Amino acid sequence: MNRGCRAINRASANWLALMALLVGILPRAGTAAAAEEPEFVIRSAGTVLVDKVYQLNARIHYQFSAEALDALDNGVPLVVELVIEIERKRDYVWDETVASLRQRYQLSYEALTQRYVVTNLNSGADNYYGSRAAAIAALGDVNHLPILDAGLLNPDEKYTVNLQASLDLDALPVPMRVIGYFSSNWRIASEQVSWPLQ
Amino acid sequence: MAVAMMKRLSSGVVPIILLFGLLLVSLYLMGRATQNSEEFGRLYVALLVINVSLLILLMVLIGANMVKLWRQYRNRATGVRLTMRLVVMFVVLAMVPVSMVYWFSLDFIKRGIDSWFDVHFEKALEDALELSRTVLDSRMRDLLRRTEAMAGQLDHVPDERIPVILGGLSGDSDVGELTVLTVNGKIIASTSSSTDRLLPTYPDEAIMLQLRHGMTYAGLDQISGVGLNIRVVVPLKGASGRILQVLYPVSERLAVLTDNVQSTYARYDRLRYLRDWLKFSFALTLSLVLLLSLLTAVWAAFYAARRLVAPIRTLAIGTRAVASGDYRRRLPLPSHDEFGVLVQSFNDMTEKIAQAQNQARHSQQQVESQRAYLEAVLERLSSGVLTVDSHQVLHTANAAAGHILGVELNEMIGMPLSALADEHGHLAQFVRALTEPLTKGEHEWREEVTLFGAGGRQVLICGGASLPGVTESEDGYVVVFEDVTTLIQAQRDAAWGEMARRLAHEIKNPLTPIRLSAERLRHKYLKTMPASDTDLLDRSTHTIIQQVEAMQEMVKAFSEYARVPKLERRPLDLNRLINEVLDLYRDHAPVQWELYLQTGLPAVEADVGRFRQLLHNLFKNALEALGERSGGRITITTQCVEESGFPFVELRIDDNGPGFPAGLLGRLFEPYVTTKPKGSGLGLAIVKKIVDEHGGMIMAENTEDGACVVIRLPLDVSTGTVRPETGVGREGNMRPRSQSNGVAQRGEMA
Repeated sequence: MNRGCRAINRASANWLALMALLVGILPRAGTAAAAEEPEFVIRSAGTVLVDKVYQLNARIHYQFSAEALDALDNGVPLVVELVIEIERKRDYVWDETVASLRQRYQLSYEALTQRYVVTNLNSGADNYYGSRAAAIAALGDVNHLPILDAGLLNPDEKYTVNLQASLDLDALPVPMRVIGYFSSNWRIASEQVSWPLQ
Repeated sequence: MAVAMMKRLSSGVVPIILLFGLLLVSLYLMGRATQNSEEFGRLYVALLVINVSLLILLMVLIGANMVKLWRQYRNRATGVRLTMRLVVMFVVLAMVPVSMVYWFSLDFIKRGIDSWFDVHFEKALEDALELSRTVLDSRMRDLLRRTEAMAGQLDHVPDERIPVILGGLSGDSDVGELTVLTVNGKIIASTSSSTDRLLPTYPDEAIMLQLRHGMTYAGLDQISGVGLNIRVVVPLKGASGRILQVLYPVSERLAVLTDNVQSTYARYDRLRYLRDWLKFSFALTLSLVLLLSLLTAVWAAFYAARRLVAPIRTLAIGTRAVASGDYRRRLPLPSHDEFGVLVQSFNDMTEKIAQAQNQARHSQQQVESQRAYLEAVLERLSSGVLTVDSHQVLHTANAAAGHILGVELNEMIGMPLSALADEHGHLAQFVRALTEPLTKGEHEWREEVTLFGAGGRQVLICGGASLPGVTESEDGYVVVFEDVTTLIQAQRDAAWGEMARRLAHEIKNPLTPIRLSAERLRHKYLKTMPASDTDLLDRSTHTIIQQVEAMQEMVKAFSEYARVPKLERRPLDLNRLINEVLDLYRDHAPVQWELYLQTGLPAVEADVGRFRQLLHNLFKNALEALGERSGGRITITTQCVEESGFPFVELRIDDNGPGFPAGLLGRLFEPYVTTKPKGSGLGLAIVKKIVDEHGGMIMAENTEDGACVVIRLPLDVSTGTVRPETGVGREGNMRPRSQSNGVAQRGEMA
């Protein structure tokens, strides 16, 4: 019954979005009132040098929209992308991007085991969680993620690390992408956080 | 630049085909992408943007076409209404079926997608999932009990013996890996059935957290490098912080089945969730197809309407050109279809019209040239030519006609002949001579007319003939007339000269020998003859000599009459000449001379000698008429009068004699017509001859108390001899003219 109501709500939301798209007006798609506004917030982020390798430690708060969580519970995997850039500071021109890393995590739901799986798409490692909250919390807990060999950097230069987390819309199923691009319920990204590389 | 490009885009065929092809490809790719095809899935949004851009481009093109059409409508351009009708018709024709297909397709898509989800299939899939869960749960519960049993053997076992015991436990065939480790992740001992792996598998943080709370863990985990395993983790008693993790590899058969159930259910669940999204995507694609098709149809409608209307517009422009007289306009052939045939026919028609017009113009030029030729001939004719219609309205007149008649006939064109007589009184007789045969309907006539106008007396020979017209109302007459005054004068002079010559030859020559013979007879026999015969001879020869002398005088007088002297015209003061001549007769008693000579009388152009003879003849004629009668009175009057707009000098001589015999009144000016016993009968004839030589007119009439001779001499207006002031004669007021009961003499010779 609940699933049927959700389907009706989704259908009406989609048709409204279609009409809006056809007339060129694209308000926020979706009618499901989320308890909280969807947002990604980088609570803390920093790098440590371990064995001449810079490692990233970050705590990221992922607040998905109700639509995204609904899609997750219905078998649609959500991919979160961490964009990590290391820039060399320059005085008179724009900063130079020394290294760029896109770390992608997939959050999915396994109906058979009724668990949530966080898959590191870069390494292929899976982590299983019994609840969605645990999986999302684990998703936001980045520990000792190696990002750059210190030998590649000039010790005399100053570098800055930029970090931004976002929901990868291109990883969504094709039918959802159109609305995803134009809906704030899906177009979720954190502010870019920067700090000096240490 | 942009406008030119827009015009090329909106008017050419190639851009339409290219755009349409691009649309088809884009829509095809979009359709493929909608089906979640991997190779096109990444392009879906890009294709969507491209299609929307094309949509906007089409809208702009259509908007440009509509603006252009609206401007043409406001300017009332040719063919714009037809274009609008065709556009509306094409759009309606395209919109109705496409819209129907759209709505049916939309419904079909919705129903088609809904049909993917069967309740029974869904139930079976959920049951399969539930079954799998049950089987796995049962298996995991068994394995949990076995693991707990294994953990019982390891409880309170020192670390050194754990590997030994693990080695014994690993003997079970279905155990993949046994690991004892602390909750902090420190491995105490581990054994594995696989020799490929050097390091044991660590439980993840979530499991460790669960174990730290004293709970067990049993789950189906996909372990990297190992595959699908049932992982069981239980805490060990005795030594705190130790846990046992046992991995039980799932059989390949079970793994495949589990994976199938898992993936199939996940795919189905995802598809069920995406059902509305799919409908939306398909509807969006279909709507784009509809919009693009409709807009393409509208654009094609504009294009087709323009192509269809173009030859019609060209024809309309050509027709207007023909209507305005431009027959040289040739229309370009639009194609080889029916429009092409129509335009070709139009071009042939205009070419033939142009040829006909050229021929007509050529004929008109020929007619004009012939008309000009005829006009030139008519203008140079010495004869006057007039044409009048059946209503006696003057149509044409050549210059000679006006010259002969002394009026400006061009001003009278279109007016009836009666108006000519009204405005120019001296032409009344001429008009009368014309209208009489016209009224009678005579087809051809000839008549002689004498006029007295500014140029004096004129004798015209008129000839007329009917002119047949195309219609009865166009019938008319042509009148040709000639001024034969000079010719008649010359003929008469020649006749009289010939007569004088004959008289001299036939009569005058024999007279001299006759006279000489008579004188010889008288001289020879008068002295020798007896007295009785002398008287007879004397009387006979005297009679012969007297009669011969009389005959010689008569021949001399006639010669004088017939002589044609060369006139020496000079301005002549008629009053003074009258006084000079009258001096010779003034003492002639008992006649009383009364003179009423107008002072300031204009001079007349005349030969003084001839006029002196004229006055002598007239005075002598009047005196002879009075004879010896007592109380005789001769009145001489001169005055300048104007009649029918022409001035002339009038000389009037009245006497109170017996008057002219009524029988001779019509022949007074003919030679040898006289009432006097001694008269030669040439006096008045010579007077008339002199008057004729000066272009004048002479009339004789009987008055209440005698006779009257009136002479009118034309004045040359161009010489300016007319004096404006007219006054009273020196001997009293001018006597009012008596009513004439005589007839004007025409002076021509019989």
